[in-house]
Amino acid sequence: MHRLYRALLRLYPAEFRDEYGREMAQMVRDRIAREPRARLWIDLLRDLLRTAPKEHAHVLLNDVRYAVRLIRRAPMFTAAVVGTVALAIAANTAIFSVVNAVLLRPLPFAEPGRLIQVAEKNDALGLPNFGASVLNLLSWRERARSVDALSAIGFSSFTLSGLGEPEQLSGNRVSPSLMPLLGLAPVAGRAFTPDEERPGAPPVAMIGEGLWARRFGRDPAVVGRAVTLNGLPVTIVGVAPRALNLISGGDVYVPLTIDPSTEIRLNHVIFVAGRLKPRVTIQQAQAEFDTIAQAVAAAYPEMRDWGVHLLTFFDTFVSAQLKTGLLVLLGAVAFVLLIACANIANLLLSRSASRQKEIAVRVAMGATQSRVLRQLLVESVALSAIGGAIGIVAAVWAVRAINASLPPNLLPVPAVRVDAVVLSFAAGLTLLAGLIFGIAPACYTAKTDVHDMLKHTARPAGGGSGARVRSALAAAELALATLLLVGAGLLLESFLNLQRVRLGFEPRGLLTFQLAPPTSRYPLTDKAPGFYRALLESLRAAPGVRGAAVSSGIPFGQGNYTTSPLQASGPSALPADAAVPIDWRIVSPGYFKTMSIPLLRGRDFSDAEGAGAPAVAIVSQATARKFFGDMDPIGRSLHRAADARPFAIVGVVGDVRSTTLNQESPAIYYPLSTRAWPLMDVVVRADVPPETLLPALRQKVHEIDGELPLATVRTMDEWLSASAAQPRLSATLLGAFAAVAVLIAAIGIYGVIAYSVNQRTREIGLRMALGARPGGVMRLIVKEGMIVAAAGIGAGLAAASLLGRAIASLVYAVPVDDPPTFAGVGLLLALVAFAACAIPARRAARLDPMDALRCD
Amino acid sequence: MALPAAVLHILIALADGDSHGYAIMQEVAARTDGALRLGPGTLYGSLKRMLHDGLIEELDERQGAGRDDARRRYYRITPRGRKTARAEIARLAKLVRQARATTLAVKHS
Repeated sequence: MHRLYRALLRLYPAEFRDEYGREMAQMVRDRIAREPRARLWIDLLRDLLRTAPKEHAHVLLNDVRYAVRLIRRAPMFTAAVVGTVALAIAANTAIFSVVNAVLLRPLPFAEPGRLIQVAEKNDALGLPNFGASVLNLLSWRERARSVDALSAIGFSSFTLSGLGEPEQLSGNRVSPSLMPLLGLAPVAGRAFTPDEERPGAPPVAMIGEGLWARRFGRDPAVVGRAVTLNGLPVTIVGVAPRALNLISGGDVYVPLTIDPSTEIRLNHVIFVAGRLKPRVTIQQAQAEFDTIAQAVAAAYPEMRDWGVHLLTFFDTFVSAQLKTGLLVLLGAVAFVLLIACANIANLLLSRSASRQKEIAVRVAMGATQSRVLRQLLVESVALSAIGGAIGIVAAVWAVRAINASLPPNLLPVPAVRVDAVVLSFAAGLTLLAGLIFGIAPACYTAKTDVHDMLKHTARPAGGGSGARVRSALAAAELALATLLLVGAGLLLESFLNLQRVRLGFEPRGLLTFQLAPPTSRYPLTDKAPGFYRALLESLRAAPGVRGAAVSSGIPFGQGNYTTSPLQASGPSALPADAAVPIDWRIVSPGYFKTMSIPLLRGRDFSDAEGAGAPAVAIVSQATARKFFGDMDPIGRSLHRAADARPFAIVGVVGDVRSTTLNQESPAIYYPLSTRAWPLMDVVVRADVPPETLLPALRQKVHEIDGELPLATVRTMDEWLSASAAQPRLSATLLGAFAAVAVLIAAIGIYGVIAYSVNQRTREIGLRMALGARPGGVMRLIVKEGMIVAAAGIGAGLAAASLLGRAIASLVYAVPVDDPPTFAGVGLLLALVAFAACAIPARRAARLDPMDALRCD
Repeated sequence: MALPAAVLHILIALADGDSHGYAIMQEVAARTDGALRLGPGTLYGSLKRMLHDGLIEELDERQGAGRDDARRRYYRITPRGRKTARAEIARLAKLVRQARATTLAVKHS
């Protein structure tokens, strides 16, 4: 029992134990003889648990006090270390807060892990993740047992009027079961009732929280109010929470009514969300849906080749590219932190020489080696903590800037926040950084041999293993900096390639806006085409306008970008009955001319193609080649896989990049004169700066219909810039981190060489006294540094060639092992390292041999 | 500022003569009718800080020699320790006087 207590004494700090351990054990021995055992043990354990942490805290407090005193005594050194740590921790915290918001925080729904998207897929057409059709939704609802509920969301646009200035809004038609399925409750009023899914139910709508705040000042009285949506009277029954916006940005929600008699099974227009039953895995559900899809395909021949693909909500909303991008950035800032740690370790190592005498005195006075080690680690953690605190403050500020400057929709979350998780991460990382950069110098310093040091004759342990450790650290810094710079170089090249991509149209001088004339007043096949014809005529007459046209989706805009499977209606280059997904657009005559898309063959649309005229279409060159190879496409026909009506091809136009810069997509254009789309993009080519035309254009629109709002007014340059936002951001951030890394690494190698020159002053003096020329001395020093640099850069390039694959999905038209990039980075860093070595080398070469020899 | 209870008890135990750790613990236990048994960690932790603050001093071996147990370390209260203890006792006495004047004490008196 007494022995057990002696073992427990190890819980006290060594100093305390050494001082009082014997007496404490003796005391326990005395008490064992006199007191009842059980009670004594309870007393002893309570005493131990209360006082052991207290003694540790006392030691720690002393160490911290000591560290603070030292820190205040070396303000320059402290500033260098604290600044480096602050920079690295700020970058890490800011990037991690984005990672946390996007990848770690659960989606704002009840039990988000059980939520899935039910998508349709068609392997034959290469469509892995396509929209669903309403009839298939009904079949799934009927048969699926692995899900609790299935809800549909259809994207839509609305013109809100009857409240002063009409406003055009995007929104969704949603199944009444959607909000319960997601576990969301309305912020005010009520959600839709199941009856409201049936056609003929009284028209109701919900508005989003954003619109509620912006347009109604969060007035609860908005519930029950009658408004006009798309020209029809509708009652607002409730306000939907912001979380619903995640599924698709939108301000207005109306019930998605289902009328099976008007639906086509191949009309893939809805997003279907489902909730897995408890304890059902997505694989089990996928197996069930595969069976259902087969049964559906057996019953409906048009569903041949179509299957079902289940995705987790996470995979639906967080694209693989975004995930990779974020992880690459997180890796990059981690590297910056490591470089910073290596650099600080080097600083501490060079200082250790001057600390050794002080340490030796403490050891001589009885401090144990572990005690000294602890003291040194407390010092480095204290330094790190100051830097970390500044870094966290900077990160909070940076996150605010990120929220303010990120283009909307780049991240699938409303805002990035510095929450408890982020703060714990930052605090943990700060502590870890202090330990990482402190451990090597502390071990090295604590190892000091007391006798050598106190004998005064020994030189401080500066050469030998200390120099090797410092060189290795500098090389490691350079290696990491090389890795980052290669990554940044590849992303930058990729971004520049995207900027140089041939768009297929001329973006300069184009102004665009959206119109959605209410279909109640402008039926799509009837009044709407006439409205646009009149509008374009009027717009073209405005001064400064060279051309005007409309399209259901201009490139890179916010129009309708859907594909539909097409088949050739006669001989084709493809196997009979083969269907290919093709982007389709509805455009007015003059669209290609306005956009400067070249007409390669045939003719443009004309106003003569109205109801009753033969159905015609214009295809892009890629579409023509796909279906007809080298045959002349003019006069041949295509039809949608869903219906047999042929469209005769009257023209071929150039290919256009339309949704992403890195991908060319074949297209088919249908004439506006036969049918409009509810939301159309108007595009105007200006002879003057395009923004200046807006007032005149607005007036022209309102001359025809004073109720029509102009929505999403942008220049084409703005659209393009938004489309490149993510690659630009990745390249900019990684570039900035790499620049910081190179700077720190350059300081690192400079420090090592400068220190070495300092240590070797006497040797250099001797060499010069013996006839070495300044040039030779300089070469010697530079060579020493460049060996370290070459090792670091070489290792970095080798690592980059291995790790390059990690960013393969982020780069466009650059191989990840691009030799010019690697060579350029290697050369650049070699130059930086050379400059960093040359400064101390010059100082060495200018030494006066006599002074140098005299110096101690 | 109030003195930790353990510290005051140790000062009282040392007031009438030098003593060693175990004897201090016994003395405190006796004075409090066994209610307060200073554990070894509490006792030596307090002694250490009292030494540091100059409330007590440790007798060197020569001074300790001739006591009943020469292997033990003996502690002696310093003038500063006495002054601190007196001030603390006066503070407590005043506190008790103030408390007596309130309804808190009525039931017991």
